[in-house]
Amino acid sequence: MKADQVLIAHHDVLRGLLRQLTETTDDQTAERSRLRDELLRELEVHTQIEDELFYPAVRDVSPLLSLAHAEHRQIDDQLATVMRTAVDDPEFGTEVRMLSATLHHHTFEEEERMFPQSHALGDERLEQLGRQLQERQEELYRSGAMRLIVRLKRMTLRLV
Amino acid sequence: MSVRSRLERTLGAVERLQVLDGPGYQLEHGVALTYLLTGRFARPLQDLLHGVWLGHPLHPALVTVPVGSWTAALVLDGLDVTGRGGPGTGAAARTAVGVGVAGAVASAASGLTDWQHAHDGARRVGLVHAGLNSTALALYAWSFADRGRRRPGRARVTAAAGFALTLASSWLGGALSYRHGLGTDHADRSPEPRRFTPVLAESELVDGEAVGATVDGVPVVLVAQDGEVHAVGGTCPHQGAPLGEGWLHRGELVCPWHGSRFDLATGEPTQGPSTAPLPCFDVRRQDGRVEVRRRGNWRGPTATTTVEEASR
Ligand code: FES
Ligand SMILES: [Fe+2]
Ligand SMILES: [Fe+2]
Repeated sequence: MKADQVLIAHHDVLRGLLRQLTETTDDQTAERSRLRDELLRELEVHTQIEDELFYPAVRDVSPLLSLAHAEHRQIDDQLATVMRTAVDDPEFGTEVRMLSATLHHHTFEEEERMFPQSHALGDERLEQLGRQLQERQEELYRSGAMRLIVRLKRMTLRLV
Repeated sequence: MSVRSRLERTLGAVERLQVLDGPGYQLEHGVALTYLLTGRFARPLQDLLHGVWLGHPLHPALVTVPVGSWTAALVLDGLDVTGRGGPGTGAAARTAVGVGVAGAVASAASGLTDWQHAHDGARRVGLVHAGLNSTALALYAWSFADRGRRRPGRARVTAAAGFALTLASSWLGGALSYRHGLGTDHADRSPEPRRFTPVLAESELVDGEAVGATVDGVPVVLVAQDGEVHAVGGTCPHQGAPLGEGWLHRGELVCPWHGSRFDLATGEPTQGPSTAPLPCFDVRRQDGRVEVRRRGNWRGPTATTTVEEASR
């Protein structure tokens, strides 16, 4: 799979989780917690593979890196708000919809603008980059350090 | 080579220092984490330091404290060195250095908060600006301590070095404002359209969604909400993001780039980094079409109002 296809597939996972989360109701607290934790982990993995591998690789063919970083920051900040909001809080749904809008805008920016620009790297390079992204993604899913980071993040964000 | 072209070259070189991007993002992650740890105070704190309450960036206003105090200290040191000082000159110089240090810490906090959202060349220039200023701050802190330890000679040398660094760094700060336009208002402030002009069909509005359009070359955003239609400028005052790509949260328009939020009725920013309001437009519905007209307000220059009145 080419790099952009790997990332689009993962965007689908993220968008799917957000859709499920938006569809939950205030009394489905256990389901909300589970989906929220899963989203936190997937977002952490996604940001990391893009920051480590994809963004540095497209640096010379896309002028959108600063924008992408700014949008990651906005997603991160809103994710923190969602983590801080209790799952049975009447505002939970509103904050999740805000996170969803932020993420949808960023994936749109990448899929419609940055990824087409990345095609200038050529098919061969994109295939190779795609393999690297998948390998790193698998590695992060298995990594104990990643699990620890996610757990720490979850704990601190709920504390403050 | 002229002074101007030398400075120009330096600026260009700093703007292209891509090696600064790695450390820059690390620093931003650090700042972001620090703010996240303040929980629900993160937003009010950042808005305070951006200057959302002030209507323009707080940072340039704050820096007058260290620059002014340190200039005073330089003059007082000069008097002492040339033997024209009085019995209180040394103590006065120490106070001035101390006030400057306190002001510099506050300036650094606000500067760092603004810098988080700078892009590309401006981001690199900002990082060098911050590095130089931090060094100057350290020199002045050292100078302050030396003045307490009765080491006046060394204290004056470190203060003078700090002053030179501050000057160099201020030049970069100026470039950030006047060249990169960091902190300036990027919204469209033209008086157009002065008369009601059709923008789109009523059927193109989506309830609860931001719809971008252009009218007379002016970008606008239309929002149908609770039976009302609002129209505001389509360019974010912060750094010019296309607000037509933005969305609504709690009835406010959110900027897709750095998350400024705007009140749709007044255009005022309810959350930074934008410190300037959005221009507003009057809206009317005519035969299934939505028409807008630039809302005249005190922000418009007087001449505009006159022409506007005359042409209606
Ligand atoms: S461009 Fe920065 S908040 Fe809109
Ligand atoms: Fe991304
Ligand atoms: Fe992505």
